[in-house]
Amino acid sequence: MNDHTEFDAEGYARGTAALVGLALDPRHLPGITANLRLAARMAAAVQGLPLTPADEPAPIFVAGRDAPG
Amino acid sequence: MSAAETAAAVRAGRRSAKDVAEAALADIAARDGAFNCFTAVTAERARAEAAAVDAAVSAGRDPGPLAGVPVAVKNLFDVEGLATLAGSKIERDKSPAARDAFLLRRLRAAGAVLLGALNMDEYAYGFTTENHHYGPVRNPHDTGRIAGGSSGGSAAAVAAGLAPLALGSDTNGSIRVPASLCGVFGLKPTYGRLSRGGAYLFAASFDHVGPFARDAADLALAYDAAQGADPDDPAQQWREAAPVSPLLDAGIAGLRIAVADGHFARNGHAEAFAAVAIAARALGAAARVSVPEAARGRAAAFLITMAEGANLHLPDLRERPDDFDPMTRDRFLAGALLPASWLVQAQRVRAAYRARVLPLFDEWDLLLTPATPYVAPRIGQDTVEVDGEAVPVRPNLGVYTQPISCIGLPAVAVPLADPGAAGAPGGLPIGVQLIAAPWREDLLFRAARALERAGVAGSPTPPR
Repeated sequence: MNDHTEFDAEGYARGTAALVGLALDPRHLPGITANLRLAARMAAAVQGLPLTPADEPAPIFVAGRDAPG
Repeated sequence: MSAAETAAAVRAGRRSAKDVAEAALADIAARDGAFNCFTAVTAERARAEAAAVDAAVSAGRDPGPLAGVPVAVKNLFDVEGLATLAGSKIERDKSPAARDAFLLRRLRAAGAVLLGALNMDEYAYGFTTENHHYGPVRNPHDTGRIAGGSSGGSAAAVAAGLAPLALGSDTNGSIRVPASLCGVFGLKPTYGRLSRGGAYLFAASFDHVGPFARDAADLALAYDAAQGADPDDPAQQWREAAPVSPLLDAGIAGLRIAVADGHFARNGHAEAFAAVAIAARALGAAARVSVPEAARGRAAAFLITMAEGANLHLPDLRERPDDFDPMTRDRFLAGALLPASWLVQAQRVRAAYRARVLPLFDEWDLLLTPATPYVAPRIGQDTVEVDGEAVPVRPNLGVYTQPISCIGLPAVAVPLADPGAAGAPGGLPIGVQLIAAPWREDLLFRAARALERAGVAGSPTPPR
């Protein structure tokens, strides 16, 4: 299993926040980094499942459908 | 009095809906201070709706299967004339809803009378209903403990007897977790079964809505009334209504029921597994099966929820982060920053996990698991010891529900009538989770009813 759970969560948060237009308050950083580390553990779990190119994402786009009668 | 008994008395003219509504309103005024379930009581509306039900009875018309039955809804459901709070401070200043949510319209059309709106975790992102803005919901069985969440007000109101029926929503366990901790029945139907129209979304990939009740028959009444096609919900599958009330007493003969092993036999306290053992004995479920990749399914749901929830609230996270509940704010802020590849991988894992799980239902009609890993923790409790390790108490509450909603399987939380028999600390409530194949809610109800008839399931009466 890939383990990317050891990373600079605070540096990552600061850099990425600018990309999505968030000005992070330093008071919020401890909570944000704790949640990012938890998410990284979850990401390691999902990255550990071998997939093939045929494994599509779960949401399937529907171009249109008839309204209920 | 159950919803079914109230409706029968009102339809027969033995009791007026007005009397029922006045008694319920007086009860809320007298007792909800101890539980903090309601964030709005719609007293005038309740009186007007009850009067309309009584007028129908007087005129010889049938007001419907929920005639005069008081109901209350999680405050993420639109209620005409009220701002839809979704547990937040931010939404307080938004325009009042122009009309009721679809599910509330369905219950009203069946004769129900709305009592008010119910407390919840902010934007449904939590399992505890320790709401910073509106205060914690207190468990009717021990007011020092949480009611669970995010539909904590819904479960506690039903458990306390303030309303026989309530509506909630469940994205990762937000109906099933509080149902277990408060000792009531809670249904999360198949993803796409009931309309979410007019319900404030949290993470659309997993958002479900459903009812709470104190017995299986009332749960069935509410579920049957709630069914119906809604063009306003893009995720709803427009299927024919499939009422379960007529099938309730069909029994479980011939049903193949197994206890889920692996992930569902770890991560919890002894009372959770003892509750499963008691239910398994009553259902004749001797076999144990593994739900493949359940932990990965939970992880996928965790990431997708975080990202979708964060994106929904990104404008407010940019403009007014301090107006969020501190408990949810930092989760949302982190969720806004997740790498896209994690999200796409999680959605692919979700589909792959579903493909591995669905074949189980070729062999089994129902799976049985704990509903929660332990009884209700204390309000403010941060950690709990599980399998010899201190874990964060809040996210771990969804350890058994999250892998199921991840792939939209219908599930019902069924409370033990006697939690003490499972060794539940302090005799506090605890439930089990029954899981079926997509669209087989009927089997959930038959098994829940069978457990009730065996004396195993039931809503324990809280102390007064």
